[in-house]
Amino acid sequence: MAEFSGLTTHQHLIAAFQEEAAVAHRYLYFAKLADIEGHPEIAQLFRDLAEGGVCNAHGCLDFLRLEGDPLTNAPIGDTDSNLCAALLAETREFTERYPEAAEQAHAEGFPDIASWFETLTKLKRAHAHQIDAALSRLGSVGEPR
Amino acid sequence: MTSHPPTNGTYDAASITVLPGLEAVRKSPSMYIGSTDHEGLHRLVFEVVDNAIDESTAGYCSSIHVIVGADGSCSVEDDGRGIPVDDHPVLGVPACEVVLTTLHAGGKFDTGSYFRPAGIHGVGISCVNALSTWLMLDVWRGDAHWTQRFERGRVQGPLTREHGSVRHGTRVRFLPDPTIFETTAFSHEVLAGRLEELAFLHPGIHIRFDDHRQQTSVIFQYESGILGFIERLNQGRTPLHRRPISITWKSENMELDLALQWTTAYGEEIASYVNSINTVWGGAHVNGLKTALTRTINDHAARAGLLNAENGERIATFDILEGLTVVLSLRMVDPRFEGQTKTRLTSHGVREVIDRVVGERFASVLAADPTLARLVVGRALDASRARLAARRASDRARFIAADIHVSDEVYQKQFGLRSKNWHQSAAWIANEELLARHAAMYDLPQGARLLDVCCGSGVVGHAFGERVAEKTGLDITPEMVELARRRLDKVVQGTVYDIPFPEASFDIVCTREVLHLLPNPGKPVSEIFRVLKPGGQFVVGQILPYSELDGPWMYRVFKKKQPLIFNMFQEEDFRKMLLEAGFADLRMTEHTLWESIDVWIDTHETTSLHRHEIRDLFYHAPAEARAVHPFEILPSGEIRDLWRWCIFSVRKPLG
Repeated sequence: MAEFSGLTTHQHLIAAFQEEAAVAHRYLYFAKLADIEGHPEIAQLFRDLAEGGVCNAHGCLDFLRLEGDPLTNAPIGDTDSNLCAALLAETREFTERYPEAAEQAHAEGFPDIASWFETLTKLKRAHAHQIDAALSRLGSVGEPR
Repeated sequence: MTSHPPTNGTYDAASITVLPGLEAVRKSPSMYIGSTDHEGLHRLVFEVVDNAIDESTAGYCSSIHVIVGADGSCSVEDDGRGIPVDDHPVLGVPACEVVLTTLHAGGKFDTGSYFRPAGIHGVGISCVNALSTWLMLDVWRGDAHWTQRFERGRVQGPLTREHGSVRHGTRVRFLPDPTIFETTAFSHEVLAGRLEELAFLHPGIHIRFDDHRQQTSVIFQYESGILGFIERLNQGRTPLHRRPISITWKSENMELDLALQWTTAYGEEIASYVNSINTVWGGAHVNGLKTALTRTINDHAARAGLLNAENGERIATFDILEGLTVVLSLRMVDPRFEGQTKTRLTSHGVREVIDRVVGERFASVLAADPTLARLVVGRALDASRARLAARRASDRARFIAADIHVSDEVYQKQFGLRSKNWHQSAAWIANEELLARHAAMYDLPQGARLLDVCCGSGVVGHAFGERVAEKTGLDITPEMVELARRRLDKVVQGTVYDIPFPEASFDIVCTREVLHLLPNPGKPVSEIFRVLKPGGQFVVGQILPYSELDGPWMYRVFKKKQPLIFNMFQEEDFRKMLLEAGFADLRMTEHTLWESIDVWIDTHETTSLHRHEIRDLFYHAPAEARAVHPFEILPSGEIRDLWRWCIFSVRKPLG
């Protein structure tokens, strides 16, 4: 059992996870642009590097899952806990994070960015419902008759 | 060719060896022709036509005659050498029978052609035979006319000598098997399109296409080759330079025929072929071309001092592609393609060769013609600077939005430019049915006064016809005001944020697909409320996502199309906005409309980069968006989106 909870190493693992997850998606985005410019070999390089980024992020999760979800701190590991952690995060996003971000964007004079956050808010609400439904299905499967 | 006819056995033995092959084709047709839909069906015709084209490339055939019969059959006739009818030396069966009943046997008899089109799949005419209810072969060769009949790939009788003949050629008539194909109706457009393409790619060849179902006959014959092809593609566009740039080059195992022409349009069109196969998804040859053009134009611009060296200005590939039409025809030995449908070239080394050759030739073209160079490089620079300006357009609108005073100038510029071909810039704008749906919401007595706000060309107000007594338009763009005057009684220039009419001036206000472009849309809605009489009606149409699941994806598509998008409304937002402004009695009807996004994104508002990104968003739409939002990607790469139009009606309360 890992004992790094709350230590600097824990913080570093969370940061590395976020960094590598971001690497993967930035590179996939860059690959699309390289494709448009007609550089398929550079696009492929970015895609390969992105794949590495995914593997690295998962490597961080290998450690982190012993302590909890890097986003919500809730326990993760088995599917039941993972669904709960996912529901927690999605709910936080659609009830607090994105509505607040939208409000702030309006206040700062970015109605289009506010609309983007409002659009995400609605999607996250739908995601939370989907996860919630999956959780109840899983629960009913697991219950003894 | 890699496969050979079986080399042992008698007639019977041979047919035993051969028939299982064709049974395999009937069992899994998609493995051989890609699919059993519309696309696979037409591949049958092209397979036969390509054999004739082969003969033409080898120098033996000058004329091809394609007929779609009233019974749905297809006939392809050429004046080539005729498939050999003498007995195959080993099999003891007429060679033509071997060709029609053996997979991949065609190449055995091909001697003259070097860069073979070999059909899209190179599967040979035997696949056509296997997948046809019946197939009739006619061969004119030597001094006679020979015939043989097949059913579902099986020989129905021996090759028969009909009578003497002095002509030569081959005719294949067949009826596609309805138990194999989802549809057996040939599309006139698809066949005519491909036959015309082939006529351009093979200058001089005479291709006649008769469609007995509609009593039409058309002849495709062009001496102009790909230069004529590019002129055809650019019909309706304004070329930037009168004569297309032509580059031809030949090596021992490759031949390049390239034509380029920039127009004042915004989209790009790259028609690329490898051995006459249309490489819809481009590949190595197209990438080599893009790299060469980018490098050469930047080099030229830098040498001419056109780039701002201080801030490292560089023209991006997508700015160079803006308004560019290309026909690229490459002939090469043994090309390699990606995937079943062979529409992307992946051969190694091709990219480098094309890059080098096009780079050298294009640089000398620019050096030799300073006027052309100035036009082409200037066009790319304009596109590059326009892209930056488009980014600034939304920036500027944002700053002004902070105090709800929207810059008229930004909107005037965006829509003024587009006004020239307003009705062509999107299919929905003049769609009669959609307009009628708006007018159908009308529920006031006859004789009302109507105001069409942000009226564009005035089509929405006009659609209310005799129901209303007087139609007034309001638009911010002088060009649109001018355009709307043809349809409405009176048109005023002004802003919807401050409608230039007193309170309670109108019985009905209509508008369509405009509130998403306006920061703080509640303000114009309250202005509309103000100018309506109590009891008055507001009819408004808006494209909305199908649900929250396609919202973010659609947001990205629309924002890339139009930088002035400020609100990605969903149905609940739109209802809320109308009710919060004080309106009541809300009704909504839905209407769906297919829109080719290629038309819709081909305006100055959408930069070349964004057009590519929009297509990519459709190609890689997330599953959750695809689950609720119908769209289709045609084999040509064209994308058609089914838009959900929501038409709302609300009333200003009486009290």
